[in-house]
Amino acid sequence: MIFKLALRNIIGNGWRSLINIFIIAFVMIGLIWMIAMWYSWLNLAKTQQKEWEFASGIMRVKSYDPYDMFSWEKANAPVPVEAQAAVAKGSIVPILFSPCVIYPNGRMVNAIVKGIPAKQRLLKIPSAQLSGTDESVVPALIGKAMAISTRLKEKDIFTLRIKDSEGAFNAIDLQVSQIMDCPVPSLDAGTVWIDIQALQSAKQLPDMATVMVINDNALSILHGKEFRAIGEREFFADLNQMVKTKAEGQSSLFILLVFLAMLAVFDTQALAIFKRRKEIGMLSAMGLSKGKIILLFTTEGSLYMVFASVVTAVLGFPIFYYFAKIGFSLPYSADNFGVAGFDEPLKFIYPAPLVFATLLLMFLLTVFVSWLPARKIAKMKPTDALRGR
Amino acid sequence: MEDIIVRISNMSKAFPTGDGDFLALKNINLNFGKGEFTGIVGPSGSGKTTLLNLIGSLDTPTSGEVEVLGYQVSQLTQKQSSELRSKYIGFIFQTYNLLPVYNVYENVEFPLLLLKMSPARRAEAVTDALEWVGLTDKIKSRPSQLSGGQCQRVAIARAMVKKPSLVLADEPTANLDTENSLHILETMKKINTELGTSFLFSTHDQKVIHFMNRIIELVDGKVASDDIQTGA
Repeated sequence: MIFKLALRNIIGNGWRSLINIFIIAFVMIGLIWMIAMWYSWLNLAKTQQKEWEFASGIMRVKSYDPYDMFSWEKANAPVPVEAQAAVAKGSIVPILFSPCVIYPNGRMVNAIVKGIPAKQRLLKIPSAQLSGTDESVVPALIGKAMAISTRLKEKDIFTLRIKDSEGAFNAIDLQVSQIMDCPVPSLDAGTVWIDIQALQSAKQLPDMATVMVINDNALSILHGKEFRAIGEREFFADLNQMVKTKAEGQSSLFILLVFLAMLAVFDTQALAIFKRRKEIGMLSAMGLSKGKIILLFTTEGSLYMVFASVVTAVLGFPIFYYFAKIGFSLPYSADNFGVAGFDEPLKFIYPAPLVFATLLLMFLLTVFVSWLPARKIAKMKPTDALRGR
Repeated sequence: MEDIIVRISNMSKAFPTGDGDFLALKNINLNFGKGEFTGIVGPSGSGKTTLLNLIGSLDTPTSGEVEVLGYQVSQLTQKQSSELRSKYIGFIFQTYNLLPVYNVYENVEFPLLLLKMSPARRAEAVTDALEWVGLTDKIKSRPSQLSGGQCQRVAIARAMVKKPSLVLADEPTANLDTENSLHILETMKKINTELGTSFLFSTHDQKVIHFMNRIIELVDGKVASDDIQTGA
């Protein structure tokens, strides 16, 4: 009875109901879109970071501090003997880091040089390009961001100056063999990739590495005292924090939208109670308890959310489907705005529990803001209501 | 008097105003019996509506007692007075107060939904009520599609559908022309005679006075006269 009357009142309310329903629906579409965008971005960023940098795990030299580039000069240790076979098999990829200075086009640029085995296939870095036949120049890989900042092009030759383990400076001529599409900014910006043996030779650090990237099978042989295992949680902590911060920044906009949607519902219900005082008095005279009259008005408000969910499903489906199937491209230039770009379109994934929790929150908020003005009915005298006071 | 359904003893009702309390009803003593067709007459502000509201347990007296069908109105909880109204009292208002989003059938059916009656019994009762008021051909119409007289007949059917012991009608003909007023009164009189339902009206419409078998005149919140009419 209450539901039927509430439903009729909503329908009878005409365009006022429609406006409320569409406002709530648009806010919900926006919320789901935003949740899916950040979730998918994080998911893709993690997937690509795993493919390019992390694989199944990473071991870092204990003295390595990712936030202190100057410490990298001495952040290296011998690859453990137990790991040598796995390195040869390609299950472990040692990488050596070193600060350096490069001279592209006559300019001097501080950079990081990273040595990686040319034959490795564990990571997506196109290290095969690092095998060279010309002994006068060493093949090097740089990312697109690095190419832009140094104005280097493929086949360009530039000099790299590096300090070896004895403190003496060595210089090597490098030739850009490929400018790679690297989706992980930390592997691109300010970084030059060369074959690990070339770097070890220049640094006079044979068999030394800063980090070792591992696959599952290699985990059991990593007992070296010099290296520390970095778990997924620690490795992605910064990325998670960045997404959280950015999502929170965006949330303020959506909190404002949710607030406006709730204000619309509140306003409609408050106006309805004001306009329908005689009806409230009549319902009371017929024997409907105040609790049930409050329930009637709260149900009416809540029904906006129910209808809005249907509209969200109908209007939102093509949008959600498009972003799930086609996605949108997030070019590398997006990095300038603080969001890493990808070489493939960002296709949305909709995390069901998160979407459900958001919709539930919206529903509870709608019930609450519908109930707020309806509370006044409890204080209303039926005789005053019948007089329209 | 046997079969008294409303007993009012030494009852007064005051409303707070800016200048202190306004005494709307003063020391009222009245009884209403089963099957009465009583009119409460008097000028505006004489306390007619207040008296009906108190009998309908929509309000409570400031002093004295109002007993309706054995229940002391001032001692009822909100839930109990809601139950009393939903089971035993029908209301008819000057402005009809029909639910605009419901059609005629649904408006009349509504009080029965509160009583949780079975659908079959509801359908039978609604059909009967609409036959009493002659609106069986309008069951699908919305209130906005009906004339004032038809709306008031729907309101009567809604008040009567649960076959209440008492119907309280507050100026039921005030918004109607003479022809419709007489038709409404004839309908209510017929129901009163056939079903034995007690009717209590407030009115200052002189043309309907001769339908009453009892006329109580209120002046300034006091009972000025209480006359039994013969042959009404």
